[in-house]
Amino acid sequence: MQTYDDAPKVKKGIVIMKKSTEYLKREISEKFVGSWQSDYFRALGYFSSTSEDNARQRADAIYTLFERPVPHIFKNDYIVGSIRDVMTDIDEETRRRSSEISGKYIERGFGSNADHYSTDYGAVLSEGLPGMLSRIEASKAAHAGEEDRLRYLGAMETALSGLRARLLKYSDRCEELVGREGYDGGRLNWIASNCRRAALGIPETFAQALQLVWMIHTCYCIEGRYAMALGRIDQYMYPFFRRDIDNGVMTEEFAEELLENVFMKIYEHRAYGGADDVVNICVGGSKPDGSSDVNELSYLVLEAVKSCATPGPNLSARISQSSPDEFLDACLKVIGTGIGYPALMNDEVNIEALRRYGCYEEADIYNYSMVGCIENFITGKQPPWSDGRFDTPRYFEYLFNGGVSYDGKSEGIDSGDVSDISSMDDLMKKFEKQIADGARKYVERFCAHNKKERPEELTTPFLSCFCDGCIEKGLDVNMGGSKYRSVHGAAVMGVGTVCDSLAAIEKTVFADGTATLAELRDAMLANFKGYEKLRETLLRAPKYGNNDDFVDKYAVWYVDFLSKEFKKYRTPDGGYFYIAMAANTNNISAGREIGATPDGRLAGEPLSDAASPTYGRDTRGPTSTVLSVTKPDYGQVACGTVLNQKFSPGMFADGKREKLASLIRTYFARGGQEMQINATSRETLKDAMDHPEKYSDLVVRVSGFSAYYVTLERAVQEDILSRTQQE
Amino acid sequence: MTELNVSNIQFFSTGDGPGIRSTIFLKGCNLRCPWCHNPETVSPYPQTLVYAGSGKTVSYGIRMKIDEIIEAVMQDADFYSSSGGGITISGGEPMLQAREVAELCKRLRELGIHTLIDTAGGVPWENFEEVLPYANCFFYDLKTPDERVCAETVGGDFHLIIGNLKRLVSSLADVHVRIPLIPGVNSDDDSLKKSEKLLASIGVKTVDLLPFHRMASSKYDAMESTYAFRDTEPLSEKRIEEIKSIFNENFSVTVER
Repeated sequence: MQTYDDAPKVKKGIVIMKKSTEYLKREISEKFVGSWQSDYFRALGYFSSTSEDNARQRADAIYTLFERPVPHIFKNDYIVGSIRDVMTDIDEETRRRSSEISGKYIERGFGSNADHYSTDYGAVLSEGLPGMLSRIEASKAAHAGEEDRLRYLGAMETALSGLRARLLKYSDRCEELVGREGYDGGRLNWIASNCRRAALGIPETFAQALQLVWMIHTCYCIEGRYAMALGRIDQYMYPFFRRDIDNGVMTEEFAEELLENVFMKIYEHRAYGGADDVVNICVGGSKPDGSSDVNELSYLVLEAVKSCATPGPNLSARISQSSPDEFLDACLKVIGTGIGYPALMNDEVNIEALRRYGCYEEADIYNYSMVGCIENFITGKQPPWSDGRFDTPRYFEYLFNGGVSYDGKSEGIDSGDVSDISSMDDLMKKFEKQIADGARKYVERFCAHNKKERPEELTTPFLSCFCDGCIEKGLDVNMGGSKYRSVHGAAVMGVGTVCDSLAAIEKTVFADGTATLAELRDAMLANFKGYEKLRETLLRAPKYGNNDDFVDKYAVWYVDFLSKEFKKYRTPDGGYFYIAMAANTNNISAGREIGATPDGRLAGEPLSDAASPTYGRDTRGPTSTVLSVTKPDYGQVACGTVLNQKFSPGMFADGKREKLASLIRTYFARGGQEMQINATSRETLKDAMDHPEKYSDLVVRVSGFSAYYVTLERAVQEDILSRTQQE
Repeated sequence: MTELNVSNIQFFSTGDGPGIRSTIFLKGCNLRCPWCHNPETVSPYPQTLVYAGSGKTVSYGIRMKIDEIIEAVMQDADFYSSSGGGITISGGEPMLQAREVAELCKRLRELGIHTLIDTAGGVPWENFEEVLPYANCFFYDLKTPDERVCAETVGGDFHLIIGNLKRLVSSLADVHVRIPLIPGVNSDDDSLKKSEKLLASIGVKTVDLLPFHRMASSKYDAMESTYAFRDTEPLSEKRIEEIKSIFNENFSVTVER
């Protein structure tokens, strides 16, 4: 066994190159020649494959994809594995032939279970690649005579061997680079031995474990997968961390540096591809006995993400009642830097939501992590995730316009002339019918898409190795191999718009009688042109987010009804449809397609965002927003929820953060599911000076005074801006 | 039923005392501080402010029954208890409505809610006697240590204000003195040292410093009135630290931003 003494930079626990992260970022950002050529490296395998079997052919292509590229090792690497390997320069003819060959093999996409997956790295680290390979051997013996399964197990073995070969190639490359300008020979040798250990044995040290995890992750990436989570890194890395610290072979500072070394490389995706990857990293959580899972490493992960300050790692914190206050405070400090995460997850609600499906074992539920932005995932035990957008306000169009959208482009069901509706109950029934029809169509569309290609032709032999059950059954993750079935998340969008609309109808038409439904329809068709008075009346009706039951009751209905409706359906492999109260900025694009709504919203304006009230209409401040938003039962929202809240940077100062923490604790105690907090950064404040319309509800709070930022004079806005700079 | 003349209620107040609070701003003030950042609370009559740039319209001034106030602020009870917060009654000069404020505090106290009164103190001592049994804490503004400045710039009775502060402190009430740091009025070294000496002699223990800001300028525009402090630059961080050090010796000091 080798120790950190081989790494000269960290002798005696003193980290000399703490700046390695910064230099690594520079290295990643340097110009280079080449472009994404995974087709080429795959084609090498397809070309030489002698098998007729799809999984086998794909495995051969995966092998060359992993093994053939020249490893790219950054001078500031501690943990190696780069997607730049497959960024290479090849001639036009080779490129053409490569895509011809590889193009025959369609890859899965989002919507057909390609990615958004969280690996159970804890399981991987406990047995290492040798353990996984011997499980494949054991499974072969168990399935003797079952040709299909044996073939598939062979494909898995090849794919996994590709990973092993890649690690060994990196190891060799490190040794080759010793003596090259800018490289530290001692460190290269240290990395080389870590890679060898990760390839051939069970990782023993923190660095070896992280090396194996990261190399698997980069394999997913060069396969073309996106949003592959790193999962509960503070949990599965903790035994290694503890042992290395106790043995005195690693300092906490160096552990943080290693984490930074990994997190910074997520930035490669942006540097080469122009867009950020969404690599979810989950910290915190709780155990089935209710105790907290927060450990020293949880804090180091927070620190490491903060130091990197890149958007790539999408950090989630599972906050339970047992999470220490210091942990929540540490999360708020990271958020206060303006990077917008960690997203704060209510552990109790998420666990309850997953539990209610009745199909997951307790231990698996407690080991959930997130994929993509916020989606709750049974770590390493279900096929990759998919989700889609279900914008609900469009069903007003069908309800009011005889089953056809205002622009005539889409159809719901014809629920009759809206003037025949005589009560709010009647209206709700018809509205429910419209939404139910929409949900059915949504599910049909998704399933048709998901089943479009034959699963036996879209096999996934590499990823299947890392999903519980696939090796034992000798089956692909999408063909029944995984322990649990695939789930799909329907992001139901526009709760604020719908609630405000229903309340406006109830108040204006049925309570006050100041307008008829026919008038309302005409007004919406005219986008309120000529109906300005009516629009004002509608805008005066109670709005979601102000703790007013008159309107908030519709949010309770919204979550109940939609979760019940989607629960009726199954994905093609028999899993559930979850709902998510999330929008991921799609509320803006969805709003563009949707005509005027009964809440007074004009055609084309954004819908309300995620689980949030309509922007600018929750005028009583964050406590009332919390009171309203916690009325629905989020135990029915298994996919996850987003409540976006903005606070000025002053709220993150010492002495103020605990008030924010109390707000969050109260929100969670009342059953809120998630809060995504943004510290309004300098950039935001500057943008608000130029585009006040986008920031109408941004509040600045000081002693005895609070003001809407956009109402302040420019000179005063400058004052606040300069104060932000000091913080 | 007792009514209060309320300017507005601000929820999730984070700068007006411990924890998460709701601040009830009462309308009407007997001082005329030219730097005032809540000018809409000075007049006892309702006012509507129209902000020219953004078109935002905000109305201030409503007579609210105590039951209505209680109903409004008790919505946030969970937040008060989880954060150690409560209700702050500010203004304007809340002590001008002492009898009503006392009743409100009594009701809130019965509900287990912490109450804090933010006052400039320029009212008869009898008014304090009304609220003393019920209010948990006082924020007591010291605008100036100088009798003349108090009379000419602020329009207040210095001896009444300081006399009340003395009696309040000796009555063992929980009193935090708040000093707004106003450039050109009270934030030069001489004034500050004078304030420091005065407060030490009275036996005050805690001092909050509130650096001047000019966020109120657009309120003055919206009220179509002039604002003498429109072009006054805020104090520098360095200066604020210097000021803090003047008080550090004898007081527990916080800078409230």
